[in-house]
Amino acid sequence: MLHRRIYQFLMIYFAGFAALMLVKYSLNLSDYVIPSLTEIWNTCRRYFGLYLLAVLNTLAVAILGHVLSICMATVVGIIGRLTIWIGSFIRVAAYNIQAYPIVAVAPIIFILLGDGLSSRLLIAAMICYFPLLLSIIGVLSEPVTEIEHFFESTRRMNWQLQVKIRAFENSHKLITVIVGSATLAMVGTIVAEFIAANAGIGYSIRIALYQSDLAKILVALFLIGICTSVYLVFLEWLGIIIKRRIGSV
Amino acid sequence: MQLELRDINYTYPGSSNNVFRQLSCQVTEPGFHALFGPSGVGKTTLAKMLAGTIKEFSGDIRIKQMEHVLYTYNLERLPGWYSVHDHLAQITPPPNRRRMQELVESFGLGPCLNSRFAQLSLGQQNRTNLTRYLLQDFDLLIMDESLANVDEITKEKIILKIKALYPDRCFLYISHNVVEVAKFCRQILVLRSYHKQPQAVSLQGQDFDGRRSLQEKHLEQCMLEIVNAA
Repeated sequence: MLHRRIYQFLMIYFAGFAALMLVKYSLNLSDYVIPSLTEIWNTCRRYFGLYLLAVLNTLAVAILGHVLSICMATVVGIIGRLTIWIGSFIRVAAYNIQAYPIVAVAPIIFILLGDGLSSRLLIAAMICYFPLLLSIIGVLSEPVTEIEHFFESTRRMNWQLQVKIRAFENSHKLITVIVGSATLAMVGTIVAEFIAANAGIGYSIRIALYQSDLAKILVALFLIGICTSVYLVFLEWLGIIIKRRIGSV
Repeated sequence: MQLELRDINYTYPGSSNNVFRQLSCQVTEPGFHALFGPSGVGKTTLAKMLAGTIKEFSGDIRIKQMEHVLYTYNLERLPGWYSVHDHLAQITPPPNRRRMQELVESFGLGPCLNSRFAQLSLGQQNRTNLTRYLLQDFDLLIMDESLANVDEITKEKIILKIKALYPDRCFLYISHNVVEVAKFCRQILVLRSYHKQPQAVSLQGQDFDGRRSLQEKHLEQCMLEIVNAA
């Protein structure tokens, strides 16, 4: 049986696809603007393998960028939870920087690092980093007084214990944010590939765009959706395992 | 061992209403004492002042021969990743390890030891929380409704056990139950609204320890005094 996320994607994809076909046949548009079903099917057969590899390449970079963002956000979040000046500085900086669209900075990264893995990774990581950081700072800077009180009064509190208590108490929130930011990591990687890449599905879409080949783009979109859904399903499954483990006797 | 509060004035930040105005009172000997008063009169605020959590007040709090002051309240929780036993074992100082078993048995916590805190009933949670504080090194323990949701028989058993095990320590028991305060406490500080002066009235309780019989007439008299004072 298909997972909820996958069939939801399939429903949305085919609804969009049906709408596109409706526009084509109702307005009598040529195959050059919107390709026919036969042409899409032929493109799918021809490029499915190639595009699947490209999507997997993109997904690998997205996962790497996602993990990198989680690590960075955790470290900065731990410092940002502090009540001294460095904590306040990091919180204010994070709130201000996240308001700036990272995509707009992407060309600078391309100019400085050129096209390739480093640019893709950096842009992907930056796009999903700030939402993660804000959530982690929010969780880690909020005291869980009813648990922390004992450790404070008996002078047993240290920063590791404080982080552990706050992360444990908000584990559901953290897992939801991590799963949610996975989509952003994928979006970030594809955006990076539009601008600065020599591989990946974003790069393939850019070529298809130059060729005005909508059939290729539709095949690419299908594969992106399926692969992202599978990644999200995996993260949700991981989240359930973690929740069960920390909640069990 | 002495606890003395002199001319305490306090207003909550951002509020214009006084909580304390010229509040003075004292406790001069160890024992199981009570802090009694209607809701909102400032019992918890006073407890936090004694524990050092609230510092922005005027007046003097003098605590002599009481190095470790602990404050516990009934909404506290244990970390969720530990079982009760693991947590108690972790936080009990080595010299108090022997006492842990005794308290666990007296407080009826044996069946809860392998459970996590969230799996316990409210009464069991409060007993567990109180147990871990009793296992610490303290001179004054402020118990803010620490035995809420505990049935009367178990509550009596716990209080008598505390009095037997810690005769040289000072306890300040915050409760709304006039019967248990009158019955078990030695000195009862009745806290009143700041409109009334003096704001705190000290009364003698029956200090029942289970060894001598309790005189109903004296208990009723004491309860009446507490209610009148409040």
